Amino acid sequence: MRPHDSRALWIGVLVVACLLSWAGGVHAEPLPRDSREAAVFRGGLVFANYCVTCHGINADGNGRAARLYDPRPANLRTTDKNDAYLGLIVKMGGQALGRSPFMPPWGAELTEEQMRDIVAYVRSLNLRADATP
Amino acid sequence: MQFHPQWATVGAIIVAAIGLFTSLSADAAEHVLAQKGKAFSVKKLQVKVGDTVKFVNEDPFAHNVFSLSDAKSFDLGSFGQGGSKTVTLDKPGTVEVECAVHPDMRMVIEVGK
Repeated sequence: MRPHDSRALWIGVLVVACLLSWAGGVHAEPLPRDSREAAVFRGGLVFANYCVTCHGINADGNGRAARLYDPRPANLRTTDKNDAYLGLIVKMGGQALGRSPFMPPWGAELTEEQMRDIVAYVRSLNLRADATP
Repeated sequence: MQFHPQWATVGAIIVAAIGLFTSLSADAAEHVLAQKGKAFSVKKLQVKVGDTVKFVNEDPFAHNVFSLSDAKSFDLGSFGQGGSKTVTLDKPGTVEVECAVHPDMRMVIEVGK
């Protein structure tokens, strides 16, 4: 399977999983647009399209391109950064914040909502008990 | 002044090395590709080992160029409008080139001997 086929597959899996859970009655009503659940759902789709190449589908920093980089892409499941800082990294890129120059600035590509949604999605995956939003 | 044959040999080697280097460099070609409208200007490019490919961003937003191919793995990083990055292709094979910022941007470079 070609790498971009894999990305399309994962997006498809996410969409189908969400549709199935919706159809199964988990969400009998459409999610309010401003709800955290809706942001996490949208963020997952954006993440699957733009971020998985480096951060991996599990957001653990093991994407298919991760081997190109030293330091490796961040493991977002264990990040100790708060939402505001994560949002800045997404918007301005790694270099602007003294981090990896290979983390692109997404501010010109994604909308403010998409960037907030990515942060919400990453927060939803975070395994750290002491992580602060 | 006394003649030292060993220095003459060293000099000859240096001159030969410089000549070889310049002849190789002269053979290498530079191919220029544009990134415009969220697409590479060509989808397929044939080059020879030693050639360079220059990617020029003609869009008003940042692009990136990377490849995970066995023939050449690299990430040229992100660069904005008017910026450019160059990669030297030093092994034969197929190089699939992508943009990390725009996942649908792809092209292929065939590197021949």
